[in-house]
Amino acid sequence: MPSALTLRAVEFRWNKTGQRLGPITETISVGDFIGLIGPNGAGKSTLLRLIAAYLKPTQGDIDLFDHSLGVLSPAKRARLVAVVPQALSTHFDLSVSEVVELGRTAHLSFRHRLAPSSAEHRQAIHRAMKATGILEFQQRPFSALSGGEAQRVLLAMALAQETPILLLDEPTAHLDPGHARHFLDLVQNLAALQQKTILMAYHDLTTVGLYCDSLWLMHQGQLVMTGTPQTVLSAPLIREVYNTGFVQLQHPRSQKPMLLFP
Amino acid sequence: MRRPGLTALLGILLVLLGLSIVVGVLWGPTAIPPLQVVDTLLHPNQSINSVIVWQIRLPRVAAAALVGGALAIAGTVMQALLKNPLADPYIVGASAGAGLGAILAQDFFPALGLVGPSAFVGSVAAVGLSYGLARGRGRVQMLTLILAGYAVGIILSAVGTFLMLLNRENLSTIFAWEIGGIHGMTWGHLFMPALLIIIGSLAIWPFSPDMNAFLLGDEQAHHVGVAIERVQFLLLLAASLLTAAAVYLSGLIGFVGLVIPHVIRRLAGPQHRRLLPLSFLAGAIFLVIADTLAEHFPGIGTIPVGLITAFLGGPYFLYLLNRQNQRSLGGL
Repeated sequence: MPSALTLRAVEFRWNKTGQRLGPITETISVGDFIGLIGPNGAGKSTLLRLIAAYLKPTQGDIDLFDHSLGVLSPAKRARLVAVVPQALSTHFDLSVSEVVELGRTAHLSFRHRLAPSSAEHRQAIHRAMKATGILEFQQRPFSALSGGEAQRVLLAMALAQETPILLLDEPTAHLDPGHARHFLDLVQNLAALQQKTILMAYHDLTTVGLYCDSLWLMHQGQLVMTGTPQTVLSAPLIREVYNTGFVQLQHPRSQKPMLLFP
Repeated sequence: MRRPGLTALLGILLVLLGLSIVVGVLWGPTAIPPLQVVDTLLHPNQSINSVIVWQIRLPRVAAAALVGGALAIAGTVMQALLKNPLADPYIVGASAGAGLGAILAQDFFPALGLVGPSAFVGSVAAVGLSYGLARGRGRVQMLTLILAGYAVGIILSAVGTFLMLLNRENLSTIFAWEIGGIHGMTWGHLFMPALLIIIGSLAIWPFSPDMNAFLLGDEQAHHVGVAIERVQFLLLLAASLLTAAAVYLSGLIGFVGLVIPHVIRRLAGPQHRRLLPLSFLAGAIFLVIADTLAEHFPGIGTIPVGLITAFLGGPYFLYLLNRQNQRSLGGL
């Protein structure tokens, strides 16, 4: 498989003396679904922001497919990588479909900036809303949605960007187990059906192994371990990193690894 | 949330603007029968009445329309950039800079009549200073920009007040200017600022999708592909030029840039492709009417238009806030 994402000795310093992230060298193949785990403050969100070019590496390079991230224009970059944030609030009275439409920003030609309702855009917005099951409340105000609904809208916005790479930053952190499960199923299906390459920061070690193809473990700004969920979750290192013991189980149906509180 | 159609709203506002302009030129110190005014508007000729309508009354009404439109657009831009519903065109130091510019011109070169141009320069310079201070070394945080603008505003206001106290004889001139008003307008005086306002407004419009994206916060705007630093800079520049052009024509007219975007957002939703042209027209209508009222205030005569906008805008804004609280949902 060709690589969708290449990190070459990527390093980020918040300031001259303080903490530092990396250097990290790693690649992700097209279609991989990677879980990014690690304790609070390990640098997961920072790594995602580096890959989304919201932060600039102090050292090293990031490539998206054959493009060096440093020289990509914002619009071209946003057609390669989309981000689903943990949560988003707005004071403004945007409807659900208007939020999803914002995902089309990078696809607007100059002509469409004043008349953005071309068939192509409308179809992309419709597809994104259909895939996430939000068509029936597309006219409702975004600010009035429940957490689970809002998160699906944010996923739909990212899908409307039609990018091969999707970054998710703890997307289910505010969701109840039912909504979390449906959301993760949705993401997993997208990875399978649309060959999307996915990197998802995630906290729940009970479920992360059920969904991801492989895991990246971060600790104090370093990528300390990568591998299949089986390898990473059963490594002694993970107990050290989280500073706690875990009980490891196999899921009774899928035989996939899960970590529980001891 | 079904939004009314853009063309329909544009049509309605254009008709209202036309009506308000006609109403705006009906009255003046020289009494001309209304029918004759309308006739003169449609068929300009060489008569005295035609000259009065075309060379005295219309420039004034056109200036009011352009100032209202410019302030409404600048307010819309600032509210989107700062994601702050209390943002107005003056929020990042423009008013204090303009005030200081006006005072400097009035104090040091009273004979040159440079109050307007000097206010223009002061306004743009103050926004530039706030932006430069907020920029520091990294990305401009919009909250830092508000705070920097606030600090710059306080300092420049203090300097201005100090200068005013040193030259007390100028107090009333500057005071009247700071309330805002449109006086002695001619087409020649109007030409350059009008050009700037029209070009600036048209230049802002294609950035509508970017401004929509800013409503979700700067980081998400970045993720959907907005070149946030460049767009913020360009929009801030355009908005401050519009504000400065408005200040040049009329002094500091408050509340238009704050209230009009809110009203139009309630009517037509927060999408800037619709919001910007509708706000321009609504601001123009509002200020033409306010200026007409100010010029012929019943029982008093002429009062500064800034007072009228405050009288109308302030209570209306409180009413909006009150409704907002009752709905308890953040629908601005």
